[in-house]
Amino acid sequence: MIVAETLSKTFSQQDGVGFKAIDNLSLTIFKGEKVGIVGSTGCGKSTFLRIVLGVEQPSSGKLLIDGKEPYRHYSEFKGRISAVFQEDRLLPWRTAIENVVIGLEIMGVEKKTAFEKAMEWLNRLGLEKFAKAYPSELSGGMRQRVAIARALILNPEIILLDEAFGHLDEVTSRKLRADFFNILSDSKAIVVMVTHNLDEALESVDRIVVFGKPAKVLGDFKTDEYQRPRLKKLIQHLIETNKPFNLVQSGLGKV
Amino acid sequence: MSQKSSSEYVAVKLAKGVAEKRYYLISLLGVAAVWEVASWFLPPYILPSWALVFSSLMSLNMSHAWITVARVLIALTAAFACGLCLATLMYIFPKFEKYATPIVNLVMAVPAICWVLFSILWFRGQELRIFIVLFAVCLPGYVIDILDAIKNIPFNLREMILSLRPSKTQYITKLILPAIIPNILTTWKVNLGLGIRVVTVAELVGTLTGIGYALNFALGQQSIREITAWTIVLVSSLLALQGIVYLIEKRLLRWRK
Repeated sequence: MIVAETLSKTFSQQDGVGFKAIDNLSLTIFKGEKVGIVGSTGCGKSTFLRIVLGVEQPSSGKLLIDGKEPYRHYSEFKGRISAVFQEDRLLPWRTAIENVVIGLEIMGVEKKTAFEKAMEWLNRLGLEKFAKAYPSELSGGMRQRVAIARALILNPEIILLDEAFGHLDEVTSRKLRADFFNILSDSKAIVVMVTHNLDEALESVDRIVVFGKPAKVLGDFKTDEYQRPRLKKLIQHLIETNKPFNLVQSGLGKV
Repeated sequence: MSQKSSSEYVAVKLAKGVAEKRYYLISLLGVAAVWEVASWFLPPYILPSWALVFSSLMSLNMSHAWITVARVLIALTAAFACGLCLATLMYIFPKFEKYATPIVNLVMAVPAICWVLFSILWFRGQELRIFIVLFAVCLPGYVIDILDAIKNIPFNLREMILSLRPSKTQYITKLILPAIIPNILTTWKVNLGLGIRVVTVAELVGTLTGIGYALNFALGQQSIREITAWTIVLVSSLLALQGIVYLIEKRLLRWRK
């Protein structure tokens, strides 16, 4: 379970004025949930993910995963959280399969076992023929598949997607997203998907959290409780007005 | 691929290689031709013909060349190891970087000839003298280039690796070292050139062995033939060493398009 308690993050800037990315955010994500986080550009969605990932420390408040802070208990979360970013972030000097195994290498898994497992994942993602190709020899979609294999091979409890399908063309993005969620259909892992694409979120997850700017929860919706077009309009309205759902609820009929 | 098509492939590759190098070859052959023609009109003690130079080349004591090459390689390896450690420490401890940077810059600003003079006055052993000179001249290049390379590793790759929660050693071996290899190899190539030039000057005045000493001896004999022959050995040694680095580069950086 991920629990954010009055979480805030302020970045210091060169002019001395702090930039508030997250403002008193409180949010709970339960085991097995697939949650989409949407909001306007620069609203702190990615910063929230980075705090969950444990590579960023909150300025105040707490972010707890099963009662522990991922930043402070750094090594305890080894192999338990993985992320797929907007850019593939493959190591250019490693082949596709070597990129996939890196997480297992860091966890100390035996080389042969790690490579066998990586090959299985490449097979599942249709990349078995490209195992020995370097990232520079792969297309954008293929590279992103490798990045997904790198994240999933760890069988993590939490998977974070930071605009993971955002830079691909529509067809590739849709296909890859479908493959990804198919693979995870039986998984008990928490999936947190940050995206600016509302349709993508509505199609993929069972809960959508709308972030204001700076990041605070404006709305929190179960996708199966609403008609998709109506929910989409409501979310768009929340993002545009930057006001919480209870303040605009009275205007729902107009949305 | 059949044997025939394989040999054809090799032949085509070779022909392509020669074609790519043709400007290089034409240029060098042009210089050699001009030299040869000029030698017909000038006395051999000013400009010897290639035949005379090659006869001298055959009679050289090549142990001097091996000694010079060994000195360069030993000193450069030590400078590289030290440079890598220093750069890593400077990266890990920013305060240390603040103190170390002025010293590195100071060492770099001192001309090579001054290091030669200092080492002659400060040290007795000829090997130690040469080592100190080469080490002092080449160390700053390694430190500065490696530190820059570490700092230039893209943030998104760092973040990706950190998200997998590596130990410090894993962070260095899985990310830092492979990422800085291109810069390390480039610095090696540059420092080999610098090292060969500097070692010759150092040997010229500070030792009784090596190509520098042999050049000084040839100067005493006023033998332009021998000086030219040693110059050829020196240039060939440098090109061979750089060629080795190039081959290593080709192997290690095969991922680069």
